[in-house]
Amino acid sequence: MTDVLDGSLSINKIVYDRDVINQRVLELGKKITEDYHGEEVVLIGVIKGALYFFSDLTKAIDLPIKIDMIGFGNIPDTTSKTGVVRITKDIDVDITDKHVIIVEDVIRTGLTTAYLSSCLESKKPKDISLCTLLLNPNRLLMTIPVKYYGFEIDDRWLIGYGLDNNEIGRNLPYIAELSRKD
Amino acid sequence: MAIITISRLNGSLGEELADQLKSRLQCEIITRSYALENFFGDLPAEVTERLNESAKYFLTTLPDSNETYKDILIKRLKQIASRRENIIIMGLGGCVIFKDDPRAVSIRVYADEKTRIDRLSRRYNIDEEEAESSIAIGDRKHKRFVSILFEQDLSSSDLYDLALNTDRLSVEECADAVMALISKHDLRQKISMETQDNKVIDHQTSNVVFKNPTEEEFARILDMYNIEWMYEPKTFPIEWDSEGNIKMAFSPDFYLPKFNIYLELTTMDQKYVTKKNKKARMVMELYPGTNVRIVYKKDFLALAERFKQFGG
Repeated sequence: MTDVLDGSLSINKIVYDRDVINQRVLELGKKITEDYHGEEVVLIGVIKGALYFFSDLTKAIDLPIKIDMIGFGNIPDTTSKTGVVRITKDIDVDITDKHVIIVEDVIRTGLTTAYLSSCLESKKPKDISLCTLLLNPNRLLMTIPVKYYGFEIDDRWLIGYGLDNNEIGRNLPYIAELSRKD
Repeated sequence: MAIITISRLNGSLGEELADQLKSRLQCEIITRSYALENFFGDLPAEVTERLNESAKYFLTTLPDSNETYKDILIKRLKQIASRRENIIIMGLGGCVIFKDDPRAVSIRVYADEKTRIDRLSRRYNIDEEEAESSIAIGDRKHKRFVSILFEQDLSSSDLYDLALNTDRLSVEECADAVMALISKHDLRQKISMETQDNKVIDHQTSNVVFKNPTEEEFARILDMYNIEWMYEPKTFPIEWDSEGNIKMAFSPDFYLPKFNIYLELTTMDQKYVTKKNKKARMVMELYPGTNVRIVYKKDFLALAERFKQFGG
């Protein structure tokens, strides 16, 4: 699958292969199925990084869940020369009084997760939980409650299964550590 | 939690502002008619009328009591304010009664006389002369009430935290300003109260002056994500000499109220990391419930990179 990457990127090693990811996603799906049995739950995937994880995870949940996706980006703002982060694709599903699980590809500092969580709070869900495939607990700056995570990571530079480098590499079916070609 | 006192000139849109704030905060407005109906028990109609018309009557004592109507007014307002999460007090000398209450925010709403006359004449379909007279009577009555009961000049700027001129500001703009103010004020009060019994030094009333461009850029990143922050709001003493003098203190760079966490940047020089980590640990040990995280150079660079990608 090295054709997926452009010339400036090369893989140092595969960190989580397809089987490892699939197995862990199935475990997470099973856990969510147990935790939310008999409850109304909405899973919200964060565009674009969580795309593959979200797709596989939701298929691994044996419950009548609703799904939606949310996207955010920088919008120019009159009161700030740098602009502000705003929702660019809002959810369409009603989450009022429902359990919500935000699904992320990776949580490092937690800044974007905190932002999305606070945006969704205004829609009055019953509660909001966080699920991320990758979590770097040593880098978390926010006190955000991550209920489910696939793998703990360190500071390695990862790509694949949704993670990108300038939009390249998301469609790798595994997660790999990058090394730069000099 | 906020106690909002509103003092207004007639025709200045003070009532409209109170209504707007009431719907945003989902709270009650205490007006003079509310006070007369609820504070003094069953009043004979003539007493209600006198209280409505004459400020001096508030200084008289209630039958079979040694308390005046003024005493009861103050007592009941304070009781209500202590029980409710948010409350709006319209007139009634609220700006004087709650002057020393740290939770209170006092607002003065005013507008040019010509604007007010114009508003009243159009609203009640009366001529300008009649509107002018009505405004003069109303303003005089409010001023007299505060002067007689509290010996204060209602037009004195000392009584207010915020003055809003509705000549050019809409009710919505004024409400936005008040909401922003009470949110910050409430937060500042909360942080002050948390550590008021120890030796923590509160810097919250100081201006924000960043010590280096990194801090400024970090603040911009937080702004970008709409995450509320305060810059160096407190200094935590962490080491004392035998006489109790402070030997070492720690002032974390940022406080994020929503996450109840202090952040200290270590991006300038990594040799300070160990020292800062130690100080952060000491703060968390000495001040239980206080969370401090170190923002490492790598985190900051990653955030700054993302910031640039977003167009910052």
